Amino acid sequence: MQADKFYYDNKIVRDFAIATLVWGIIGMTVGLLIATQLFSPAMNLGNQYTTFGRIRPLHTNAVIFAFVGNAIFMSVYYSLQRLLKARMFSDALSKIHFWGWQLIIVAAVITLPLGFTSSHEYAELEWPIDIAITVIWVIFGINMFGTIIKRRERHLYVAIWFYIATFITVAVLHIVNSFQLPISAFKSYYIYAGVQDALVQWWYGHNAVAFFLTTPYLGMMYYFLPKMANRPIYSYRLSILHFWALIFIYIWAGPHHLLYTSLPGWAQSVGVAFSIMLIAPSWGGMINGLLTLRGAWDKVRDDVTLKFMVVALTCYGMATFEGPMLSLKGVNAIAHFTDWIVAHVHVGALGWNGFLTFGIMYWLVPRIYKTKLYSHKLATFHFWIGTLGILFYAIPLYWAGFTQGLMWKEFTPEGLLKYSNFLETVTRILPMYIMRSIGGAMYLTGVLVMAYNLVKTAKSGKLVSNEYTEALPLPVLPVESKREFWHRKIERKPMTMLVLSLIVILIGGMVEMLPTFFIKSNVPTISSVKPYTPLELHGRDLYIREGCVNCHSQTVRPFRSETERYGEYSKAGEFVYDHPFLWGSKRTGPDLHREGGKYSNAWHYNHMMDPRTMSPGSIMPNFDWLLDQKLDTTTTAAKIRAMQTLGVPYPKGYDAIANQDLDKQSEEIAANLALDKIKVKKDKEIVAIIAYLQRLGIDIKNKN
Amino acid sequence: MFKQFINTLQGDEVFMLISLMIFLLFFIGATIALIKMKKNHINYMSNIPLEDKTETYN
Repeated sequence: MQADKFYYDNKIVRDFAIATLVWGIIGMTVGLLIATQLFSPAMNLGNQYTTFGRIRPLHTNAVIFAFVGNAIFMSVYYSLQRLLKARMFSDALSKIHFWGWQLIIVAAVITLPLGFTSSHEYAELEWPIDIAITVIWVIFGINMFGTIIKRRERHLYVAIWFYIATFITVAVLHIVNSFQLPISAFKSYYIYAGVQDALVQWWYGHNAVAFFLTTPYLGMMYYFLPKMANRPIYSYRLSILHFWALIFIYIWAGPHHLLYTSLPGWAQSVGVAFSIMLIAPSWGGMINGLLTLRGAWDKVRDDVTLKFMVVALTCYGMATFEGPMLSLKGVNAIAHFTDWIVAHVHVGALGWNGFLTFGIMYWLVPRIYKTKLYSHKLATFHFWIGTLGILFYAIPLYWAGFTQGLMWKEFTPEGLLKYSNFLETVTRILPMYIMRSIGGAMYLTGVLVMAYNLVKTAKSGKLVSNEYTEALPLPVLPVESKREFWHRKIERKPMTMLVLSLIVILIGGMVEMLPTFFIKSNVPTISSVKPYTPLELHGRDLYIREGCVNCHSQTVRPFRSETERYGEYSKAGEFVYDHPFLWGSKRTGPDLHREGGKYSNAWHYNHMMDPRTMSPGSIMPNFDWLLDQKLDTTTTAAKIRAMQTLGVPYPKGYDAIANQDLDKQSEEIAANLALDKIKVKKDKEIVAIIAYLQRLGIDIKNKN
Repeated sequence: MFKQFINTLQGDEVFMLISLMIFLLFFIGATIALIKMKKNHINYMSNIPLEDKTETYN
């Protein structure tokens, strides 16, 4: 048979590599900036566009979807062509995919600082961008499956299974977590409310970690590690087993983000059980990777790419051991809402995703430029400063997490909270925040050194845009023998693989979500809970715009240490009108669910203008523009109508008269502020946000 | 439609147990299948990434 002559497309790989580098540097720089904001409020730079609440989502989106996203595409486009012995299906689709993805990122960079956010963590982008993501993701899928169809290798290597599972699951996650009702070009409400919204969000959030940060990276590991070490993977059997186990189990584990909240107990238990099980397939992947290097450890000493891979796998092992541990209710009670979680995430992000990406780039760039790495010394320097950076980042934050978590729970012998002032527990950990930013700066320095090294490498060679190769075309299959092994058949059939993966991941999601949506007793209603007034609704949207949810939770857990500090614990029925839920995942500041009535309107006014006048030593940014900006009441009617559509029981025709109620309430607040000698016009944004904060949690308080 | 279907369930426990059983059966099935898998096929599969001959090694 005559061999086909064809070319691999290296140019698209190079483009994604450049995007990975550029967005990586930008995303990490923003990360460093927000790290400094946590010990020096002046670093918020005195304007609304660079405050923590707005650019923390910019950091997470940039490092997850821009840095890691482009790294995934770089690696998939390189490895897929070679594993299938075929050029990518369509050069045009590759280009649309590349530029489409970069445009989406640019849209995020513009809209997030402007305060356009849905408030769902890692899904903050508003609905038009969500649609663009869906389109580009489908284009990526068509390009991938097109390549698979025209392949010259009958069997799909395990790396490709991971890519397929990634493609289908991210599609499902993204769509389900994007059901929003738009009210304008950049504002929408989630159709789910309260507990249900929380469940959907954390089903998504957890599986974004699973299927964006883990499965594609395992696929990349299964291709690039054998290439680097020049030996096959340790156990192919193990790779199959841990593939199916991983995608099956991961999808169930989301509720471990909602332990001790008002999510039904059975859903929490399911989340815990599956989280503990997760350690098996996760470690299966780590062990398989590390054992691939058995008998080749001498290579690790000389080869810097392998050094990066070993640290990446070790960090993966640590993070996936810690994850199940953090899901144990006893551990979670202390760790949740603290910096322990931030440290945990960054061991995975900096170690596993970062280092694996760096290893691949050091290996791949010289190859597509047909040259040698410019400097091994600089690469080794990057390895060490990066590794030290991870340690300097994670250890202080673990310390901060333990310290604060324990301080929150400490009682005096008389039975009172020892640190009743939340701020005390914050100022105690500021030195750790400073150390953490030093660790982050070290890590970023390493990345800059890598960028220099890779640019020099590229300049010393010439890009082989189209790499010549030959392969035999696939022979027509003989009639299948009945005795053929079933899994072998699947390995040949990408569509079967896709459907099987889809079924496997849908089971978990449906079992968890459907009962919460359809069994009434899972969300008991409370008769005293009423919809927000129009002014409060506007205030709530400002709370979302400013990203308050990034630092303040709105869910009091049923512990004495929390009911003493905040008040009555949160009930599911209190959130039935919350589109979206705003429970938060981190308490950099105190919980706000029972904030209503705690302080005077004047206190809130001054606190928003400059938090340090009311709480000396506070690290909260100033929100002084709320005092000057006029509240946009032209959207009131649309907001009320949207809420009615979603089932919030405003009276019929209320949208037309809502602004009258709004005026009345804002007048009252302005008059109340005037008593404290604060002159403010009733149409300012500050009035709306005060109205919202004073409403929080009082529906139940009033009943008692 | 889902509503009727879900509401007829007796309790959450049954639902949970069924899911766990599905998973266990699937897992055991996959394990048995893997043990029975032929050695030469495994060797073939795990060598796919190393077949690419266009590499320049540096």
